Amino acid sequence: MSSDALKKRKSKVLRSEGGTPEMKRGRGDGDQQVMDTAGRELGQSPLFVANDARVYSEEVELDSRDPEQDYLQYKESCESLATLMSEIQELKANGAKEGCAEVEQRRMQSCIHFMNLKKLNRLAHMRLKRGRDQTHEAKQRVDVLHLQLQNLLYEVMHLQKEISKCLEFKSKHEEIDLVSEEEFNQEAPQEISRPHLTKNDPHQLTLARLDWELEQRKRLAEKYKESQATKEKIQKSIEVKKEHLRSLQPGLNAIMQASLPVQEYLSMPYEQTQKQTEIARHLPPPLYVLFVQANAYGQACDKNLCVSISGDVDEAKALSKPPEDSQDDESDSDAEEEQEKTKRRRPTTGGQLDDKRREMLKRHPLSLCLDLKCKDGSILHLFFYYLMNLNIMTVKTKVSTSTDLNTAISAGELLKADTLLSCLYTSDQGRETPNPANRYQFDKVGIISFADYVEELGHPYMWVQSLGGLHFPSDASEVSLSASHMESTMKLLRGRVQSRLALHKQFASLEHSIIPVSSECQHLFPAKIISRLARWTTITHQEYLELPYIRHVTDAGLAKETDLYFMAVVERGTARLQAAVVLSPRYPEISPLFSLCLSWKGERSGRTDDNLRAMESEVNVFKNELQGPRPGHQLLTNQIARLCVCLDVYLETEGQDDSVEGPREFPREKMCLRTVRGPNRLKPFKYNHPQGFFSHR
Amino acid sequence: MGPVELLHMSVFSQSFSPCGRFLAAGNNYGEIALFSLSAALSPDATGLSQKPVLTFTAHEGPVFSLLSTDCHLLSAGNGEVSAWSWTELIKKNVKPLWTKRPNYKSSLEIPEINSMTINSRDNSLIVGGGDNNLHVLDLEHGVFKAVLQGHSDYVHCVTMREREAEILSGGEDGAVRMWDSRTAQSVHCIDVYKYESCARPQFGKWISCLTTDSDWMLCGGGPSLSLWHLRSLSPTSTFPLSGCQRQAAFYQDMILAVGEGPFVSHCLLGGDVKAQIPCSPQSLNTLQLNTNSTEHRVLTVGGSSAHIDVFTNLSYRAFSLSF
Repeated sequence: MSSDALKKRKSKVLRSEGGTPEMKRGRGDGDQQVMDTAGRELGQSPLFVANDARVYSEEVELDSRDPEQDYLQYKESCESLATLMSEIQELKANGAKEGCAEVEQRRMQSCIHFMNLKKLNRLAHMRLKRGRDQTHEAKQRVDVLHLQLQNLLYEVMHLQKEISKCLEFKSKHEEIDLVSEEEFNQEAPQEISRPHLTKNDPHQLTLARLDWELEQRKRLAEKYKESQATKEKIQKSIEVKKEHLRSLQPGLNAIMQASLPVQEYLSMPYEQTQKQTEIARHLPPPLYVLFVQANAYGQACDKNLCVSISGDVDEAKALSKPPEDSQDDESDSDAEEEQEKTKRRRPTTGGQLDDKRREMLKRHPLSLCLDLKCKDGSILHLFFYYLMNLNIMTVKTKVSTSTDLNTAISAGELLKADTLLSCLYTSDQGRETPNPANRYQFDKVGIISFADYVEELGHPYMWVQSLGGLHFPSDASEVSLSASHMESTMKLLRGRVQSRLALHKQFASLEHSIIPVSSECQHLFPAKIISRLARWTTITHQEYLELPYIRHVTDAGLAKETDLYFMAVVERGTARLQAAVVLSPRYPEISPLFSLCLSWKGERSGRTDDNLRAMESEVNVFKNELQGPRPGHQLLTNQIARLCVCLDVYLETEGQDDSVEGPREFPREKMCLRTVRGPNRLKPFKYNHPQGFFSHR
Repeated sequence: MGPVELLHMSVFSQSFSPCGRFLAAGNNYGEIALFSLSAALSPDATGLSQKPVLTFTAHEGPVFSLLSTDCHLLSAGNGEVSAWSWTELIKKNVKPLWTKRPNYKSSLEIPEINSMTINSRDNSLIVGGGDNNLHVLDLEHGVFKAVLQGHSDYVHCVTMREREAEILSGGEDGAVRMWDSRTAQSVHCIDVYKYESCARPQFGKWISCLTTDSDWMLCGGGPSLSLWHLRSLSPTSTFPLSGCQRQAAFYQDMILAVGEGPFVSHCLLGGDVKAQIPCSPQSLNTLQLNTNSTEHRVLTVGGSSAHIDVFTNLSYRAFSLSF
């Protein structure tokens, strides 16, 4: 509430206060005036004006009278009325009696004046009425005229519009491309060009040119019809010829059929290879590359490699028919994107997403099967698939062995398709898609990881992509051809299968507590080994991680999820040595890693006991001497055998507490130069072959 | 060096350069690595500065002992002693100045050298090892001039008592022997395991750590770590440390000891264990205090791991150097 607002209100109040007295005053004035005029009228004696027209019509009289005159008359009679009144008053004041002649006379005169005034009043009224009528009449006339004017204006406007429309009119002929004027003059015949008319008249010229155009078009239409007819004729003849060629096919087939026995007899699988190449034409490019390379490699270097194509050929044909489909999947993905955009507005249902996922993970109907035969008769079957929408290749594996492997429980993992080819090259686990573009495709349909679909679709190993000639920018290696991978990969594959089969056999005997030592490796170990392998079991990665004595291995990052884990237990007397083994899928290239824990007179492990640590390094570090004949498939069993020897040494050289009576639990049988050496008092774990004694490293 | 080899590596010996800016460490594969302390301790140190500036294979067997003289690094391998020039090593020239081998009697196995010490009085090197004897190498002439015989098992550790010109040695036989360096004769012999206060028959009787300071001696191993008064030849205090100790050192009014177990033990002279500071290797072999340079005054310990822990402050591990 400011003082300003208050002032405003005050000023308003003041104004209204100021206003009212004025108004009152004005009204008061008006009243006084009315009273004055009345007084004057009353106080005036009327002046009588005789009117002696026999047929009386006041209206006619009205025309003859002058209003000015009437006004003067009115003034006169008012004045005389006033003088008469004052004379009467004077007389009365002088004491004249009621009804005396003078007063009576004056009263008569004033009555006459009143009559006169009345008459004037009437005339004034009549005049007013007439004036009104006249005004009304005039006004009506003006209205009519105004209406007329408006109509005329509208007409003008309409006409103007029409004119401008006409001016704006575009003729069709302006769009037609006419031949130029010179050309027209030269080519058009006289009867059309009419030079005498058109020379100076552009309108006629245009008309003539249009005529010429029409003429020409008519001619061309005629020509088109003729060509159409000849074309049809030629097509018909082609049809006839085709029919003829088709009729030849059965005959040729019959000839082929008849020649089959001859082919077989001459051992030329002519038709079979022909069929295969025929089918191969429908393979997607990566599989085709692989097919050609594998075939070439098989023929040149490896007779035990066999390539075949399986799958629905008709479906593949159908796929490759519409050119825009097989041409590029860029347009496909674009369309998908658009679909996705529109879809995002609507709530997507799970079913739709599922369909989309299935569509995205669809594989080509044709697949390639590579059979790799090993020397011992076992076969590695590789099934290669191509995922069309993801543009990657996957592989599934199967091993069939010549002899029925006796079931070793711990070997279950070894020949599983899931892990058989894991890490064929370093850290190639084949669980994630190698194509970085797939990441975005997955995001769209809500696939979190390709690993969930590996079971169903096969593994997208990097080497598979390389074999198919697919290269993705993420892989660091320089772009190389499929052919350059073929030999090394095939060798690795064969090596992998052989090592797995060798391990399989070894596991079978390990589970029966027999450590198979081949004659070539006999010299690595003393003749008498007392410690026995008591148990050989497989453990899971999780179980391995929970062991207390493998911390240093996990800290060094040497226990990966892709590795296989085993537990060996070696026993002698009351001593029990646990060995947790990490077996890399790339065995024997990467040697198994042992971690030890001995329970004998308390618990000790390789982390706390220097001697157990030395035993670990004896098997883990000095593994080269344990490899045996190439390619070193006996490494694992030799390591376990050495572990038994080391345990013997460990137990036999353990210092005897003199205070305890009785014979030693483990009498010393091994020949040692010294039982301890060096600042950390290590035991002699190294076996010297011909002499048969143990020494220190 | 692969990851498995690193996993099974042990550091046995360390020695600081005379300038105090470098640390040499020897491992079980016969390699010596040179670390730059000035780089590792500088404020802008990266992971790379904790790696050796130079690694070379010095011997065939493990390097159990390293020793620095004024300008040389002496390393002991399988039955041989090599000398390397510090200035050349810093320039990354790896060539031994000389390699000497004591006259061993047995030929079947080359005895290892477990410990070395310098006798600065006559500039000689005393070497003790696997053949139960101490060999004295005259550094002036480069010949082995004396053999101290007396131990019945191999010698674990050798140390020098400067003021009395006495050599002390401890061995697997459980005896601490004191030798007169001038006459090369055994003066005293203490069988530590026979003293009830230190004996630990469940471990054994060997003496694996030995160090002296004027009239005081620390020894331990199979028996507990104990402080001895040398004039009276009697134990004054025994330290209740659980494992076997490998190396101990006097530091101001404290004793630092390392051995089995992942910690450095701080002991008071009275016999109390004041603190056990954790470190990364599971058991420790060597402990070294850098007194050569004031700005790089650190304690380094190494053991059954490829890491060497560095303590800038005695009460916690600052970082680890690694092979």
